[in-house]
Amino acid sequence: MKLQSEEGFISDRDIMIAVISNIIGLLTLTLPRLLAANTNSSDGWLAIVLGGGIVSFFAYIVSKIASSFPNQSFFSYASYLVSKPLAVFFTLMFTLQYLAIASFQVREISVLAHQYLFDQTPREVIALAFLLVVIYAVSGSHAAIFRLNVLFLPIIIGGLLILILLPLGFIRTENLLPVFQTDIKGYLKATYSSITSFMGFGIVLFYIALVKSPENTPKMAVRGVLVITFLNLLLYIVCIGVLGNLTTENLFFPSFDLSRTVDIPGGFFQRFDSILFVVWTMIIFTTALMAFDIAVMTLMMVFEKLKKIKVIFTLSPILFFISMLPKDYLELTKVSSVMSSFIVIYLVIVTILLGVAYKIKGGNQNA
Amino acid sequence: MMLGQSEDLIIREITVGSSQKKCSIVYLSVLVDQNLVNTNISKIVEAKNAQEIMAISEMKNVDTVNEIADAVLSGNMVLMVDGAKTVWVMNTAGGDKRSIDEPQSEPVIRGPRSGFVESIDTNIALIRRELKDPNLRFEMHEVGERSKQKLAVCYVEGITNKDILDEVNRRLKSIDIDFAPDSSLVEQWIEDSFLSPFPQILDTERPERVIYSILQGKIGILVHGSPFALITPVTLGYALQSIDDYSQRWIIGSLLRLLRFVATFITIFLPAVYVALISYHPGLIPTQLAFSIAATREGVPFPSILEALLMAVTFEILEEAGIRLPKGIGQTIGIVGGIVIGDVAVSAGIVSPAMVIVTSLTAIASFTIPNYSTAVGLRVMRFALIFAAAILGLYGIILVFIMMVVHVVNLKSMGVPYTGPFAPYFLGDLKNLFIRAPIMTLTKRPPYLETEDTQKVNNGGQDK
Repeated sequence: MKLQSEEGFISDRDIMIAVISNIIGLLTLTLPRLLAANTNSSDGWLAIVLGGGIVSFFAYIVSKIASSFPNQSFFSYASYLVSKPLAVFFTLMFTLQYLAIASFQVREISVLAHQYLFDQTPREVIALAFLLVVIYAVSGSHAAIFRLNVLFLPIIIGGLLILILLPLGFIRTENLLPVFQTDIKGYLKATYSSITSFMGFGIVLFYIALVKSPENTPKMAVRGVLVITFLNLLLYIVCIGVLGNLTTENLFFPSFDLSRTVDIPGGFFQRFDSILFVVWTMIIFTTALMAFDIAVMTLMMVFEKLKKIKVIFTLSPILFFISMLPKDYLELTKVSSVMSSFIVIYLVIVTILLGVAYKIKGGNQNA
Repeated sequence: MMLGQSEDLIIREITVGSSQKKCSIVYLSVLVDQNLVNTNISKIVEAKNAQEIMAISEMKNVDTVNEIADAVLSGNMVLMVDGAKTVWVMNTAGGDKRSIDEPQSEPVIRGPRSGFVESIDTNIALIRRELKDPNLRFEMHEVGERSKQKLAVCYVEGITNKDILDEVNRRLKSIDIDFAPDSSLVEQWIEDSFLSPFPQILDTERPERVIYSILQGKIGILVHGSPFALITPVTLGYALQSIDDYSQRWIIGSLLRLLRFVATFITIFLPAVYVALISYHPGLIPTQLAFSIAATREGVPFPSILEALLMAVTFEILEEAGIRLPKGIGQTIGIVGGIVIGDVAVSAGIVSPAMVIVTSLTAIASFTIPNYSTAVGLRVMRFALIFAAAILGLYGIILVFIMMVVHVVNLKSMGVPYTGPFAPYFLGDLKNLFIRAPIMTLTKRPPYLETEDTQKVNNGGQDK
């Protein structure tokens, strides 16, 4: 079959959707907490806008570079731009990084389920069940992963909108006011945390190779980031408005707890958060899925002879092991902040290096 | 001759009219139309020479023994003239045929009443008669190593994507069976994934559904001996549509279609959600309802998972028995199933009334799915979900749901993604998926089929 929808070829709209569903992830759950910790009252919105702006800029550069090498993998254009050994190093670092991200998601879903759904089931079982589903999805084709994103997107966006819209009536203006009470240092820190939560755009580096005609992809990637910026902004304001700065700061998953404040009229579902748990599982699933997929993909770029299924089965136990390493919430939070700093710094370095090399060597020359 | 000694094989020797040439005719008495044979024989006897014989009805020349045997087996009469190098085959196929009847398996309120029959010629005629498009094509294949059944691939040239057509033809050639008692065997040979519970090729008894589908750019497959035509490639959304949606005004049609989607979700999820709520998250049910359910469950000896499985399996048994039972005593199932299982089991305290409600609601919901194979596939899924709910509660249900979605997005029908209109192309086709937009607005053929002609000429969703 030579149909366009066949293996590998996706449209640039799919990239936008992938960016959206990858960025909305765990950090969306915790972002209000991170912001509230560094800013006063509702000042974090500025941090989100700034962070979104900066990230859009990076997303544009990254996807511009990637899209000027149509249908070439990250490894092949990186080898062309910054020599092969360095490209091997970069790619393997990405493997590690995305493996870490995937295992972080696996761990967090178990924390989330443990905290809100059942407290007796062992964490390992919850994580393992989740991981098995991720493995099953990764074993499929790339095109299928994108179709999955498209299928889940309405549910995810719809869930988030419900989460934002329903508590609107509970917003108290005294929580939001007064504005601009934060010092510069606080803003910087908050902006930094908001940037970390947007790091999911990194996937364009790898997935643009699958896009059929990537001319518009940079625009689409930026659009994806902007959509999330907007959603995050709304979520943050509602969160602060309903819960207040101090409460938000002390809740582990403030976005999730937000859903516990509302009642659905009709009283069929006593607790609204259980419905949103479904949505959060999908959100975390798509993020974990793409992270694991990229980990597998990058490893196979370097070692071309490996079979996909073997790579998956080798990486999965490692992933599970890593995800079970942190002992408690405290360690997990530490790991998460170290990991996100690493991701930001690494992605910035790679972007700058590739960008400079791209300026010097020029674009598409079929390396 | 290779047909051997068989009582129904008739070989007669006669002389052709005035030319005094000897000839023999061969036919199978059970397959031919006796009247046709008689007139043909009398014509042969009266004819003066071979040219004159050529003028009767449908004829062709063949020259190998195998072809002669095939011709005789298809109900033709074979004429062998002494001294001639070729043999004439006259089409005298006849015999008993079922008359065109109303489709049994997919009734509609408004719509044509004719359904396919077993004879492929009649079926082709049914399609030809309704669709007078000069581009309508029937490609003939033969299926069955021994049965040599005719199989027709029908499509409209200039609409259907050639790649899909080639793929269908390639797969049809790979079939290797002795006999295809029904088109479902062909279906199983050529489908993409034999592990999937979802049918990747749809069957229908309705000629207008085949016509509607091939005008969309799909491909129909007719098999001789089966009143079920196959339609491919299909998508999950398509499997949930009924031709009835188009017969009603669009608001009604859309609501019916939405209702069917809701019913599909109930079929898959309701028992599992019930089990999960009862055994893991009673806190999620409103307090009043939780109390009344708890009250009805008092005295029920089984955990809810066992109860759910018990009822679900019972329902499956009832349905299977209902199908196998001769029509005359079919009533018994209703009485035994309804009264014994429904009523007595509850009053005996073996199952709770809430569980009976859940099971019967699921059962009824599953009957709204227009296609039987799809409905069965979805009903099987609900067992997986019940188990998942019993092990991990709501979380398990979500995980299995994600797995189902992963499976479906990986699934293909003739190389076309099974998730069709939802993904990868989603916006343009949604107006004919969850809802059925006004017929005037349905002007495009489904984009996932990548048809050669995307615009509908007749400016309507349906050709009838």
